[in-house]
Amino acid sequence: MGQIVYDVHYQTTLAFLISFYFYCTGLSAGSFMISTLSYGFGFEQFKPAGKIGVVAAVLLLLLAPQFLLMQVGWPIKSVWNHFVYLNPVSSMTYGAFLLCLYPLNSIVYGIFMFQGNKKWTKFFGTIGIPLALSVHGYTGWILALGVARDYWNTALMPTVFLFSAMVSGISMMILLIMIRDYFFTASREINLPLIRTLAKILGWLLAVDLFLVFSDYTVLLYSKLEAQEVAHFMLFGRMSFLFVVMENLVGKVIPMIIVLTPRLRENNTILVLAAIMNMIGILIMRVVTVYGGQAIPLM
Amino acid sequence: MSTTKHQTDGPRWGMVIDIDRCIGCHTCEIACKYQNDVPLGLWRTWVKEIEKGRYPHVVRAFRPTLCNHCADPVCVKVCPVKASYQREDGIVMVDPHRCVGCRYCMAACPYEVRYVHPQKGMVDKCDFCYHRIEEGLLPACVEACPTGARIFGDLNDPESEVTRLRETRSVQALKVDMGTDPQVYYIGLDQATMEIKREVELVWDK
Repeated sequence: MGQIVYDVHYQTTLAFLISFYFYCTGLSAGSFMISTLSYGFGFEQFKPAGKIGVVAAVLLLLLAPQFLLMQVGWPIKSVWNHFVYLNPVSSMTYGAFLLCLYPLNSIVYGIFMFQGNKKWTKFFGTIGIPLALSVHGYTGWILALGVARDYWNTALMPTVFLFSAMVSGISMMILLIMIRDYFFTASREINLPLIRTLAKILGWLLAVDLFLVFSDYTVLLYSKLEAQEVAHFMLFGRMSFLFVVMENLVGKVIPMIIVLTPRLRENNTILVLAAIMNMIGILIMRVVTVYGGQAIPLM
Repeated sequence: MSTTKHQTDGPRWGMVIDIDRCIGCHTCEIACKYQNDVPLGLWRTWVKEIEKGRYPHVVRAFRPTLCNHCADPVCVKVCPVKASYQREDGIVMVDPHRCVGCRYCMAACPYEVRYVHPQKGMVDKCDFCYHRIEEGLLPACVEACPTGARIFGDLNDPESEVTRLRETRSVQALKVDMGTDPQVYYIGLDQATMEIKREVELVWDK
């Protein structure tokens, strides 16, 4: 019913660097949660995951803001201005505080853990849980408050981000524990009960994650025009290979089937494969979410 | 018609664009780029053109686009460093000393009128040529429009032409459902200029 004769090109707002930033904070939050299971909540079977978890969480969260600083136009000025001219109604303001507090708290928690001080480890571990949840929840919240984009502007977004953080974090922990046990211990014995318990948790979290995606898309498909457009674009359009096949089938459904099937779960090679697939799937999820939200022109 | 939420005693600048008068000559674009030194490949204002119908019954519809200087701007809300702010007279501005180029305002703006200045590394957009208004002049695009399709003035002044047009003509604003209360009004806007959108472009296409 007509065509464009003249219109201007629009810059892409958030780019790959932001996807990597989301991915790293997600991995960090996920591994921190696993680490606090034993040291904060007292589930002793997760103790071998405690130290490696906190080291991964700290390293990843020192890495994550670097992507953010590379993305902004004025990296040094941005650190300063976020605290000096803070805007209390902007979600990004809180992110700046969280990105400082969470790594600091994790470092203190890690130091006490390595010193063997149980009381303070538990204290800082308990403080760390809401911080870990917020530092990743707020990234979803940032997208959710990008109100112009229907794909992002959903109340589910922070929860979707939290669950994808936890699944990717657990997959990373499974791989890290296997690598540590196999290559860096004298006995070369992998802590199989721990790995399989983590795998089971991963399976159920993946099921919740898939349910959230399903719920998000059913609402998008029935919602207003722009929401329908973006849902069609993701499911059947140019993003469908990345979204449907890579993110959800390869990244979530197949790993979920593997970790929830006892026979497959007990095969270490297949389990490693599932963890790698899930980690790649979640990385693709970050890219797809960041770009999918901006793909449909607004005007 | 909705009125601005930030009523002041002074002026409240706004614009009415009479599409019936627009001939799609793009002079406003050029005047704006020249006045504000807008970098190559970027625009503070532009005229979207749609062709519709079947030969010989064909029509071209125009939609001059610019920052809507919303009364309740979402870009101001989301800016983490208060670089996007609203003046007393309603003009939404970007403070170049504060903006860090995080692009969150671009993600939140429903009108896609913001861009990152490639040399300055910060966000830039239409500012209604505030430097000209303060000297008693009209914005460059309004001054340059050969058919007088863009009418600029004080929406708080009951005698001004923008107020008269807004109150006596059938006007509409863009995306009022976003709740931003845009202050650029259109007379005779064709829906196709909003419905027909450019092709989806992904980063990896370039």
